[in-house]
Amino acid sequence: MENVGRRNNSIFTLKNIVVTLLLIYFAVFLIYPIGMALVGSFYNWNPMNGTFDFNGIRNYTEILKDKLFWTSMSNTMIFSIVVIVFRVLIGLLLALALFSKLARFKTTFRTVYYMPTITPLVAVSFVWVWLYNPQFGLINDIFGLDINWLKNKDTALGSVMLMTIWKDFGYATIIYLGGLMSLPDDCFEAADIDGASGWEKFKYITWPLLKPTTMLVAVTSLITYLQSYIQILVMTEGGPGTSTYTISYLIFDEAFQNYNFGTASAMSIVLFFFIGLLTLISFKLTKERN
Amino acid sequence: MVRKLVISLLTLCLFLALAACSGEDKSLKGLSKDEKSDKGMEVIGENVKFDPNKLVNNGETIAIELWTWGGKEVFQKQVDAYEKIYPNVKIKVVNQPWDDYWTKLPLQLKGKNGPALFNVHNSYHSNIIKFMAPYDISTEALDKDYIGVTSHVIDDHVYYIDYAINSGNIYYNKKMWKEAGLTETNIPTTWDQFIQVAEKLTKKDATGKLIQAGFNFNGETYKAIIAGLGYQKGELLFKKDGKTVDFDNKTTIGNTQMLYDLYNKFHVGSPDFGDDSTKSFGNGQSAMVYKWGWMQGELNNNYPDIEWGVFRIPTPTDEVPFAFDRYNGESTPGINANASREEQAVAQDFLKFILAGEDFGREFSLFNASFPSKRSLAKDPDILADPVLRALAPNVDRYIWPGSFPSAVETQSGRVFEEIFYNGVDIKDAIKAGQKQMEKDMKNADFETVESKYKFYSER
Repeated sequence: MENVGRRNNSIFTLKNIVVTLLLIYFAVFLIYPIGMALVGSFYNWNPMNGTFDFNGIRNYTEILKDKLFWTSMSNTMIFSIVVIVFRVLIGLLLALALFSKLARFKTTFRTVYYMPTITPLVAVSFVWVWLYNPQFGLINDIFGLDINWLKNKDTALGSVMLMTIWKDFGYATIIYLGGLMSLPDDCFEAADIDGASGWEKFKYITWPLLKPTTMLVAVTSLITYLQSYIQILVMTEGGPGTSTYTISYLIFDEAFQNYNFGTASAMSIVLFFFIGLLTLISFKLTKERN
Repeated sequence: MVRKLVISLLTLCLFLALAACSGEDKSLKGLSKDEKSDKGMEVIGENVKFDPNKLVNNGETIAIELWTWGGKEVFQKQVDAYEKIYPNVKIKVVNQPWDDYWTKLPLQLKGKNGPALFNVHNSYHSNIIKFMAPYDISTEALDKDYIGVTSHVIDDHVYYIDYAINSGNIYYNKKMWKEAGLTETNIPTTWDQFIQVAEKLTKKDATGKLIQAGFNFNGETYKAIIAGLGYQKGELLFKKDGKTVDFDNKTTIGNTQMLYDLYNKFHVGSPDFGDDSTKSFGNGQSAMVYKWGWMQGELNNNYPDIEWGVFRIPTPTDEVPFAFDRYNGESTPGINANASREEQAVAQDFLKFILAGEDFGREFSLFNASFPSKRSLAKDPDILADPVLRALAPNVDRYIWPGSFPSAVETQSGRVFEEIFYNGVDIKDAIKAGQKQMEKDMKNADFETVESKYKFYSER
């Protein structure tokens, strides 16, 4: 008993060490950078030449007047909404198909659908750049088209969205499949006894019961897509011109191309609150509906 | 017991991780004390001189590091020759990939354990200059041996110079050239002649679809060439204050119109004919491209089957222009001001060794397809045997360096190109918007051009 008491009083317990390491990790890699970005957003900040001059809310007023900032916000919203809608739609339809008793080779299909999700985004983006190539790209070849997909302002953003949908629908499929498997059988049995059609069962039982799953997919997707920039960096670099700039790509551009860390920090803080607000709304809506 | 073991392992891991953060081993193993100051060797160099007949570090053993992102073999060869003279000195050449290099180097230079010598790229000038010690070589001697030294003088000191200069040339496909009935005599020297040649090199199929571009400038070419085209007409890249970019002017508009006409009036290429002119040339789809020195390595490494030639960039007329093009220098190594006094002394001595001799300049110039700035190498047979360097050789002092300007200028130029060629924006409007964005992006830049130090600046 004496030994146990001594061990519990020591600050060098495994629990304390692990918790301390985690705290250090979060403090160094999360709290400090966020705090620094918040403070830096009120400064004219260029770490390359050591500039760090307080300029109040000027960074915020400047970005709100910047046309490119609003173009990027608009592109980000269009990108997020379209990709989320298609991700949910395709994910749900494929999950329903895989859940059906008529479907065969379910494991194979599940694997095939999920493979793009676990493939690195950079690699997938490069492959799609080749698919979209105007001279020898497979897409033009198959459909007999002559379109410069990634260099045309009318098709560039859509092309990046199509790639993202293809890459990510597998995640929604698997999540929906999990949701479908957890639905209570007795509801469907009762509906069968009442003579409900397949569509009626989906409309009145499956879809309402899957709403928490839909919210999960939608909210996690929203947070991810509002921060999209890798596919933009690889596929279009924001072009042609500025037609595919997203807010995260603009932040990257300001910080690491122009070294305007103050402006980039102000944009990050705006994005931070924007994501927080949308997430709050989503959770509130889910709670009310539940 | 298990708990104690886990805690011990965790603590050990932590210590190992911390130990890994410390500087690399600068082992003195294998070195011997040097007691012979008279090596019986001749003094090297004309103006920058290196006298080997002395003791380095009083003959005591010493090890330093030299960091580079490439050309390790070229550096190693120089290091081996130096270590042969001084058996008490060890210079460890450390190769870091380009991206890591510029993350790690400034951090290392801040501390006491950074490399005494390191390879410099002038685009990162502002990141590292405050950690650099000035060369212990007279500026006058450097200026006599190397071109472009005055552009690098800061408060009467030199921290690095260019051992070679890099600029653009026109690369052409020899097979296509021959098929079009062209010979060496058809090499164009003016832009009008160039357009005629490009038209002859352009091929279309029966439906009028482009199958071979006479000249392809898709990708990064516009941002690489547009400032040079301005210099040809005496238009500077920066305004009188030396800090504000001067992009929105009649010369840029006129030069952009010329490039626009190449595609839309003379139809020698198309913005949709592949999005990368380098690959298009390498794959035998385009007859001519404008590229800088790196293209030689790209073609030799990735497209060895393409038979290519190279000629000087054309000019508006046959008269000698204000400058043929802009150049960028390949920089000599920098010396770490935070290294110990002894390490800095060795670094300064090694620097004299490579700058006084010719091997370093020659080999690195050939390695990077850049023309050596050491005057004594201008007619070196090995240099002139290189096709890219041969194209630059006759006018090497007629290339201008604007200084290591912020990347925003090139980034926005690239965006202007896309706005005009892909988004259909009017040339004047796109250039005006580009000027505005460049000024905004450069608001925090600590930059002042050195255009006024150009040898023929007064000719404007």
